[in-house]
Amino acid sequence: MLRLWPLRRVFNPSTIASLARANSTGAPEPVEVFVDDRPVLVEPGTTVLQACSMAGVEIPRYCYHDRLSIAGNCRMCLVEVERSPKPVASCAMPVMKGMKIKTDSPKTRLAREGVMEFLLMNHPLDCPICDQGGECDLQDQSMAFGSDRSRFTDNAFTGKRAVEDKNVGPLIKTVMTRCIHCTRCIRFASEVAGVDDLGTTGRGGDMQVGTYVEKMFNSELSGNVIDLCPVGALTSKPYAFTSRPWETRKIESIDVMDAVGSNIVVSTRTGEVMRILPRMNDDINEEWISDKTRFAYDGLKRQRLTSPMVKNAEGQLINCDWEEAFFSVAEKLLGSGGSIAGIVGGQVDAESLTAFKDLMNRLGCETLCTEEIFPMDGAGTDLRSNYLLNTGIAGVEEADVLLFVGTNPRYEAPLLNARARKSWLHNDLQVAVVGSPVDLTYDYEHLGDSTKVLEELANGTHPFSKVLNEAKRPMVVVGSSALQRSDGAAVHSAVTSIAQKARSTSGAGEDWKVLNVLQRVASQVAALDLGYEAGVGSIRKNPPNILFLLGADEGTISREDLPKDAFVIYQGHHGDQGASMADVILPGAAYTEKDGTYVNMEGRAQKTQLAVTPPGIARTDWKILRALSEILGKTLPYESLKEVRHRMTEIAPNLTRYNDVEEANYFKQSNELSKGVKSQLANEPLSPPQQNLSDFYMTDPISRASSTMAKCVQASQAESKH
Amino acid sequence: MAAVGKQVKQLMEKTGNFFKIYKQHGGVIGNFLQIYRTDELKLGNEVGQDKYGNKYYENNMYFYGRNRWVQYSPGVNMDYDGSQIPAEWHRWMHYITDKPPTEAPPVDRKWIIDHTENLSASDKAYVPFSTTKPKIESWVPPQVAKK
Repeated sequence: MLRLWPLRRVFNPSTIASLARANSTGAPEPVEVFVDDRPVLVEPGTTVLQACSMAGVEIPRYCYHDRLSIAGNCRMCLVEVERSPKPVASCAMPVMKGMKIKTDSPKTRLAREGVMEFLLMNHPLDCPICDQGGECDLQDQSMAFGSDRSRFTDNAFTGKRAVEDKNVGPLIKTVMTRCIHCTRCIRFASEVAGVDDLGTTGRGGDMQVGTYVEKMFNSELSGNVIDLCPVGALTSKPYAFTSRPWETRKIESIDVMDAVGSNIVVSTRTGEVMRILPRMNDDINEEWISDKTRFAYDGLKRQRLTSPMVKNAEGQLINCDWEEAFFSVAEKLLGSGGSIAGIVGGQVDAESLTAFKDLMNRLGCETLCTEEIFPMDGAGTDLRSNYLLNTGIAGVEEADVLLFVGTNPRYEAPLLNARARKSWLHNDLQVAVVGSPVDLTYDYEHLGDSTKVLEELANGTHPFSKVLNEAKRPMVVVGSSALQRSDGAAVHSAVTSIAQKARSTSGAGEDWKVLNVLQRVASQVAALDLGYEAGVGSIRKNPPNILFLLGADEGTISREDLPKDAFVIYQGHHGDQGASMADVILPGAAYTEKDGTYVNMEGRAQKTQLAVTPPGIARTDWKILRALSEILGKTLPYESLKEVRHRMTEIAPNLTRYNDVEEANYFKQSNELSKGVKSQLANEPLSPPQQNLSDFYMTDPISRASSTMAKCVQASQAESKH
Repeated sequence: MAAVGKQVKQLMEKTGNFFKIYKQHGGVIGNFLQIYRTDELKLGNEVGQDKYGNKYYENNMYFYGRNRWVQYSPGVNMDYDGSQIPAEWHRWMHYITDKPPTEAPPVDRKWIIDHTENLSASDKAYVPFSTTKPKIESWVPPQVAKK
């Protein structure tokens, strides 16, 4: 989308506002309007539609959407305004003083009936086979506002308007004959997703929405147009013809595909996840979710561990019952002589992390690691502000300069990137990147990918340092992959000093935080809060005889790193790398199958809820660990979810302060400590692992098991070849 | 007087039958078990026995439909069932033929399979295989090459 920013600078909203109210001081005076003769006080500049919604009257609309620009082309929101010759489109009309709006007058009703009639004249009557049935705005509004009889006389059927369907990739199914040209999808693509793939061709009755040439809708946020489409023109391809909205149970939950912690609704029917939809949360995901969040749910039905397994004499994993699995684990653990280690993966909930740590500590094991590395030099993970996205996801909208170091936020945290794009569009956010030149969907200053740039920025000798120092609300975001290099500690200390410098010159208060770490996996923050060690370095140094993997599937430790007769226990929900190297498998529950706590990248604890039961005889993870502890004779002192959460509160109180971001503000101390870091910046360029769209889709055991995601990878690879 | 004589004669006959039945079922225990298992004591000639130990009786004193009956093998105890009667006796029991298989043995053809009782509600019951895809596909561990 075109950003007219030089003009914006000139016609800065604040300058315009100050000109407009030159003769007044302070806040603009509210305007009084009358909605159905009820007086409402609104800010000047609000639209008639917004004023009506403040008065509690919902105006029907198709093209208008809160988070998109105003198009005003569907005409459904026509209302009568006194002394206006024609009905006005309320979504585009700003209020004027003393306006008398009539939302239910005969003229307004007639206007709505007329619009409905025109829309339905060229809309197919295929509601019974349409996937939007039951959640279709056209259906609902024709019931509520349409005429009660038809004037459609073309019963001999000379033909309604018909449009060829488009193929826009493996996620979105299009039935373009149903399209009512509201252009919400086009505006979403160009404004939020930042890809100008969609547009219109032709005019009037020949107008078509499409991609001009047949191509994939190349965005990590493409699924949101399905929710935006008010009719059944854009529907979900994997969900096609599977269920109806009134058949499903909706369970509010949290996504764990990345560390954003998007709020989602899991729709289930007969013990099966049918689809995943976004849930509104203005602090995190607004009302969007990424395609991985939305479409990877079919991975929950494939490659699942449904029964405990142990290896037989031939070394083949065989299904067994829980008793047998527990006894074989207990025998090994008790006879180990303390040479035990544990690794936790990226999708483990805080309850299991707590139970796992308690159990292992009781067995005399202190080597408990996460798969994701984080430098332990300097303050390491001791100071919470060191590993969080301290500014917060919504904080991006307040920033004026944003520096990304060694990260590709578009694929590591799509919704954070959407925020940055929003801020770039509306608030003149200035973005710079140190790292590979990736497509972030908005313009940024590329400072190079060498670590020298970091050094120069830290010294203040780089030209960009000036921009950073002049910024009022600067933000520095370092990707977790940049901290996983051999010189991770040096990168972290360089970034800490850049952030500290920018902060001291910015003049922003103590509560403005500059240093941000962009985590990539959902469990990392909770694991570090609970005192897990980041990275498996100590396991590599000191190979244990028994390795307990809790959902660890990234293959950070392989059989070659362990002694020959090492015993590997895997507990998790998918048959992936961890299960393949295990001697015993304990089947656990995925995020839709348990009540779990996850802490997102900004340190916000959120709860998932049980939507379906774990498959087969798989069980909730913390319960498995609790049962195992009883067999080991080291019973953990909690029996219910409440008691586990009580224990969590004892260790890290922020884990149960749900939906709150806990303050973490020790940047000065961290900066002092980081000066003691001895390691030097290496010469290799900073390049994030996810460079292209095809790298985005499969990053965890669930999305790797998903065939929809596999199709996406194929499609985007084929697309990039063109 | 004649009526009294008839009644006495009937009484004598009934008493005689009672003792015959008592004898046929083998004393106090036998009669008790018979009533416990079938709620009925019947007098009849044993026509034959099948390979499972079921005994077949006939007494044309009873009306048609109740004149042929089976005494299930004591081996099955209370778990007797109509499907335990093999095909050759089934024909006789259901009056498809007049001659029991003891008199007219069935032709032994090589394609005739052995009789089985109805296995419903047992662990050998027939369950049709599912034609629907399972909702959850389990992970299949990699096969280890056999040494």
